[in-house]
Amino acid sequence: MFENLLSPNFTTFITLFIFGLTIMVTHHNLIKKLIGMYLVQTSIIFFLVTIGAKSGSTVPILLSAAGPIEPHVYANPLPHALVVTAIVVGVSTLGVSLGLTIAIFRRYGSLEEDEILKRLE
Amino acid sequence: MTSQAVCLIFLLPFSAAVAMPMLGAWRRSWCRPLALSAVGLMALFAFSACYDVLTQGPVRYALGGWDPPVGIVLVLDGLSGLLAVALSLVSLACLFFGGPALPKDLGSKVVPYHTLVLLMISALAGVTLSGDLFNLFVFLEVSALCAYALVGLSGGRALIAAFRYLILGTIGASFYLLGVGYFYAATGTLNMEDFLNRLPDALHSKAVLTGLTFILLGLAIKAAMVPFHGWLPDAYAHAPDAVVPLLASLVTKVSLYAMTRITFWVLGASPLTYEFPLLFLLSMGGTVGAVVGAFLALTQQDLRRMFAYGGISHVGLIVIGITAGNQTGFSGGVFYLANDAVMQATLFFIAGIIMYRCGARDLNQLGHLGSQMPWTSAALIVTALSMIGIPPTGGFFGKWYMVLGALEAKNYLAVAAILSSTLLTLAYFVRIIERMFGEKPSNASAAQLASEEPVEMRVSMGALAASIILLGLFSDRIVGLILRSAVPPGLG
Repeated sequence: MFENLLSPNFTTFITLFIFGLTIMVTHHNLIKKLIGMYLVQTSIIFFLVTIGAKSGSTVPILLSAAGPIEPHVYANPLPHALVVTAIVVGVSTLGVSLGLTIAIFRRYGSLEEDEILKRLE
Repeated sequence: MTSQAVCLIFLLPFSAAVAMPMLGAWRRSWCRPLALSAVGLMALFAFSACYDVLTQGPVRYALGGWDPPVGIVLVLDGLSGLLAVALSLVSLACLFFGGPALPKDLGSKVVPYHTLVLLMISALAGVTLSGDLFNLFVFLEVSALCAYALVGLSGGRALIAAFRYLILGTIGASFYLLGVGYFYAATGTLNMEDFLNRLPDALHSKAVLTGLTFILLGLAIKAAMVPFHGWLPDAYAHAPDAVVPLLASLVTKVSLYAMTRITFWVLGASPLTYEFPLLFLLSMGGTVGAVVGAFLALTQQDLRRMFAYGGISHVGLIVIGITAGNQTGFSGGVFYLANDAVMQATLFFIAGIIMYRCGARDLNQLGHLGSQMPWTSAALIVTALSMIGIPPTGGFFGKWYMVLGALEAKNYLAVAAILSSTLLTLAYFVRIIERMFGEKPSNASAAQLASEEPVEMRVSMGALAASIILLGLFSDRIVGLILRSAVPPGLG
């Protein structure tokens, strides 16, 4: 099982994921929290790309209509469809969260969570 | 020729949501009729589709004509049919209630409110219908994004609550997506039925175990099961009155439904055996949640927070029922889930009406309201009876079947949790009712009542309170329906 852990892509994914989660939980600045959130989403997208990768294959468009179809020549298109959708979902989440952050900044004049909480009281 | 009703259930509110901003720019007063008629039509379609399913068996609707497992499929079986009916009726009542509550606390935001609510309802309907793991993620995220925006709609403190909800909700969604990635890597399919067929070969792969851990963790955050419930009370306490009933009754329940669907229809929890007791672990989570949630509710001073913690404890109860591992407990859990959607909506209607008429949200300000607001207090008493579980109401029968299921599974800890959460629920409702009918408070703050609440508010509250009793009266039929057509295959 260790050869899996040592593969560079998997290590990158784990590192990004844990970095992102740590930033989300420990930092007090709202924008930094969002950066952490984006890191987590990106790491998962990276993971999805990794499991869909296949070396020596081509884009999944039929090379010729004649003859039998050889699936091993083509890359699997499904993980890529997932990745595109996941990116769209991530972007819209980021949009909503930035909108909320702007509204918070206009109302409380700060992006630091401690200061906002102080101003609430 | 396949029936299009399945697809229309979620397309109707969706197209109305898309049309809403354009209509709103032209005639703002038409927003509400459009929203109500879209959700009303959706309820009709859900009824007819559910009737077809119960008489003729499950329907599969391949989107765009691509057959499963390649294409995305919508599945309407007994469970999702019953859920779709409950969802459309409860959301119709919430929309009916929400209109008059708007002007006071949302100002000119009528158009965004209706757009977001319709979009959320259509996404929630999508979650109940989806037969594809990734499609379920997309619907969950759409509904969650609408929920974040709706919580933050009124500004002020609600913005902070919405931001926290967003951070935790996104962690949940990311976990879910990661789990789906692992599932795909292990089996090469995302279609739920296809996955279940391929699972026996991949059962002991570490990827499946990792995937199911992440998926269930993600959904537990979304459904506010106890160690992950932190976002919920703040969000419900500060969100606008017109929004909270929808959130409380539908969002967590639909996540719970997704958890049920995945545990039994994707992971095949009881026919297949895992290396660890999957159902038992889930039911332990529910046990802790039921007791801790009810205990925290007892310690609250704020009415809405109290109801929110009550909701958390009921999420735990539903999990206990569903994961009992036998048909009795499962059908009790599903019945209680529908019941809880109605009860939570009614509770937050009541909190909204009290807020509307006298601006009170603290328990100490409730003094003497009981005699001045007879309708509201009658509805509160009915809902309280059901939350506690006293016979003529739906809550009693749900709890009854869940206790029977837990006894059948010899899980005495769960039985103890159900009973003690019942006692704690009784305690916190006694606190509320004692204040409402008690002495006048020394300060006359609550004495100035605003005029009567609008008739729409009273009608929707009354309708749901009546349906709590109806659910109780017809409980044997509904549970019979669930037992006949909504129980997962292979559950003993």
